[in-house]
Amino acid sequence: MSDSENLEKKLKHYRLSRDEYERLTGLLGRAPQGVEWALFSALWSEHCSYKSSRIHLKSIFNRSERVLAAFGENAGVLDLGQGERIAFKIESHNHPSYIEPYEGAATGVGGILRDIFAMGARPIALANYLAFGEMSAPRMTALVDGVVRGVGGYGNCVGVPTITGQAEFHRSYNKNILVNALALGLFREGEPVLSARATGVGNLVVYVGAKTGKDGVHGASMASESFDSAGESKKPTIQKGDPFYEKLLIESCLEVMRERLVEAVQDMGAAGLTSSSFEMAARGGVGFKLELDRVPLRDRSMTAEEILLSESQERMLLIVRPENIEKVKSVFTHWSLDAEEIGTVTIGPDVELFWHGECICRIDPRLLTDEAPRYERPFDQWSPKHRVDSKSLVAMSASGMEQPAGQLLKILASPLGGSRAWIYRQYDQRVGAKTVFDCEENTGVVRLPDSGRQLALVLGGRPHVMRFDARVGGADSVAYPALELAAKGFLPLGVSDCLNFGNPENRDIMSEFVAALDGMNEVACELATPVISGNVSFYNETLGANITSTVATGLVGLGDPIDNTSIDACETLPPRSSFQNARDELFLLECDQITFTGMNAEFVGGATLGHGDINSRDTARFIQLVRHLALAGAVRSTRVVGKFGLPYALARMCTPSLGAKISWEPKIKGRWFDETLYQVIFAVEPDQAYEWRQLFEKIGANLPVKLVRLGEVTGDALVFEPRDRNQIWSVPTVKLRQAYETPWEI
Amino acid sequence: MKPIGVVRFLGTNCDQDVYDAVAAVGLTPKWIWHEDQFEVRDVAALVLPGGFSYGDYLRSGALAARAPVMKSVGEAARFGTPILGICNGFQILCEAHLLPGVLLRNNSLRFRDGWVELRKSSEAPAFRDVKASVRLPIAHGDGRYYIDEDQVKRLFDDDRVWWQYEQNPNGSLENIAGVMNEAKNVAGLMPHPERAMFGYSGGTDGRAFFSSLLALA
Repeated sequence: MSDSENLEKKLKHYRLSRDEYERLTGLLGRAPQGVEWALFSALWSEHCSYKSSRIHLKSIFNRSERVLAAFGENAGVLDLGQGERIAFKIESHNHPSYIEPYEGAATGVGGILRDIFAMGARPIALANYLAFGEMSAPRMTALVDGVVRGVGGYGNCVGVPTITGQAEFHRSYNKNILVNALALGLFREGEPVLSARATGVGNLVVYVGAKTGKDGVHGASMASESFDSAGESKKPTIQKGDPFYEKLLIESCLEVMRERLVEAVQDMGAAGLTSSSFEMAARGGVGFKLELDRVPLRDRSMTAEEILLSESQERMLLIVRPENIEKVKSVFTHWSLDAEEIGTVTIGPDVELFWHGECICRIDPRLLTDEAPRYERPFDQWSPKHRVDSKSLVAMSASGMEQPAGQLLKILASPLGGSRAWIYRQYDQRVGAKTVFDCEENTGVVRLPDSGRQLALVLGGRPHVMRFDARVGGADSVAYPALELAAKGFLPLGVSDCLNFGNPENRDIMSEFVAALDGMNEVACELATPVISGNVSFYNETLGANITSTVATGLVGLGDPIDNTSIDACETLPPRSSFQNARDELFLLECDQITFTGMNAEFVGGATLGHGDINSRDTARFIQLVRHLALAGAVRSTRVVGKFGLPYALARMCTPSLGAKISWEPKIKGRWFDETLYQVIFAVEPDQAYEWRQLFEKIGANLPVKLVRLGEVTGDALVFEPRDRNQIWSVPTVKLRQAYETPWEI
Repeated sequence: MKPIGVVRFLGTNCDQDVYDAVAAVGLTPKWIWHEDQFEVRDVAALVLPGGFSYGDYLRSGALAARAPVMKSVGEAARFGTPILGICNGFQILCEAHLLPGVLLRNNSLRFRDGWVELRKSSEAPAFRDVKASVRLPIAHGDGRYYIDEDQVKRLFDDDRVWWQYEQNPNGSLENIAGVMNEAKNVAGLMPHPERAMFGYSGGTDGRAFFSSLLALA
């Protein structure tokens, strides 16, 4: 074989491009040798280096006086005041979950938990954003089943409650599902926030947790490639998780952190020991001397390269002062875990890797991190998509909607509009005993144990809005969940985002990426809600077909305290999402910016079209208004109108014994299931409705919003009474419930 | 006031919740570590909280039942100390043969979270303040109570079935959610009373499981 053939083969094996090879030989001043190939392969992968997205991510709004840590650390940290701080982050585990759904989803949960407690925070809540294909697609039932079992299997065992989630279904995910996991952790007063920046020459580099095996070798570079038909052969790159080890790791790590025995911490995630050690050293501007033969192994036959790239789970790297090492070891022994000194912090700049006494690699870590390639992938300036003037929208056929009652029941009985209880009933939602609102509500809420304040967590990002227009979808990925928080009286504080996209080398995909990021950023900025953590997952593409560009977000919001000196205290709880009392008056608060045919168009096989555009400033002011109105004591239930429009939202508010009588009718005759961005339903106690309206007149007067009386909560049917008496329709609440709970499960 | 011992195994994850519940009713909780043994007379009662001890390896509760601390737990059981096993704690007590029967995989073969209504089948003396019917959260994968036919009849005859589900969530024999030993001082139940202590958490029916112990401490 010629030298050039040899080189081609090597580049293919290590998933490096010719340009990247030239760049790294330039940086090194020579050709890479030995394990250097593996190091560059891992750290210059899209997954670790963000080479296609970094120049765009720089513009993300990530500052506020509450932000204590943002990108660059394991997770973002927000100060809540009163001594309480939180860390949270959402991250993708798409590729592994498609190959091996149970382990892929489980290790996704495990990895995001480690990012949180690596900061020093105790994980107190989990959430997951799942996007599946059509249930009839090949393997889909097995994928749904495996992912849900995997998420539950891990989270339930470590004892962190899953308090909210989102599940989407669309054919664009048939061959590339999305599994994004979010974890949130709490620092109580006096508990330290740790960094992943290695410091202190002479300090020890300590390996803790499970032993290293061959699982997940080359995982990071695998996740940075599109799938070909040989997806099966990638199985050995999938890691296997052990939540029992994770639980022990949480307890032991938090103990040494709180005893102030640790200087810095990083999770061994993607690209394992390689990324954790080189990134820690590069951040701290120090070097490491590592003895790879001291790494605890499951398999004695492993090579140095395999040890460097293994993605075995439940492992952490700690930086410890020499005088503390014995104390650290005794804590880990107490929890039956290994803690092994595998090296020392040096003055640098090089990281030196030793294998049985021989130096096999000496390299400046910044070449692998700071000097990784940056690509300015070509993209087009965004122009609004799928827009028509309002006349054309009127002229569109309303086929399939002549029978709104039947259509509503069909929607409720489908995976698109049906209950997700089959999924979330498999997750422990109350371990930790802090849960106030579980997955039954759209917004998860926990009570912070010291201040008693309520902390809400909600996911966002609606693929059907992305398919309408990526810029609107990006804006909506913050606006919609922020509105959900506001409708429960919570102040949105921060965002974590997981950007799931197809192949960035495809100009259309890159254009959507830039537009969505721009839309998201604009709303976050107007709301003064910083984006503090997240990740980018590119190459969600199989055999040339890309997924719907999907921005998954997690937002946290802060609410009022609940007093626990009174056992039954419930008066400060947020308004519910279902009807509470007959005779409550129903109102629709609307900031009409876009009307589009929405999810129902996809459901009946029509075109997604609409008119209007998002104004971020108006949206942000609307969200603030909603929050003020939701906090008025007279409000008993609220719901943001989303997919399938107002009738669907009202149907979801009905209980077996409570329905509503509604005098509303759609703007375009017969088009009951179109969607308007944005609308919120309020149910207000009848004897206080007048004052509540006065409050709206006072604080909402100067905004482009409208308040309409919809009707009232009544007995056991949902009744629509438009002006045209021939158009009256109704559905008994029992039938709504039956349809909604129709098992689409497997 | 004698403390209430809260036993922690590797993988127990409802330990802090139980500790807080014990404290919330005005009792003094005390940690007991799986490797340690203790003086039976030093505790007023014991709670074995839920979780996934030893990752549910082998069978749920099987490894924990053989931990060193179980020697003391056995002595306490014979001594007459009230012992409450919740969820995985119930599984451990069964595996240790301190309670009759076993807990098998749910009949759905899936983990199941939710709220259940329970009715008291017979009285456990240490927990007599608990109402005759309660609503509590469940969260388990192995909650299907099973015992052979002769013995289940005897459990009912001896008033040793503590709680029954109104609607069976897991396929338990005779809707059994909790049982007692012969002396009725050792009791196990699958639902989680420590998660129903305050109005904001969805109900307060769990409180009496702990406050009943005030009479003993």
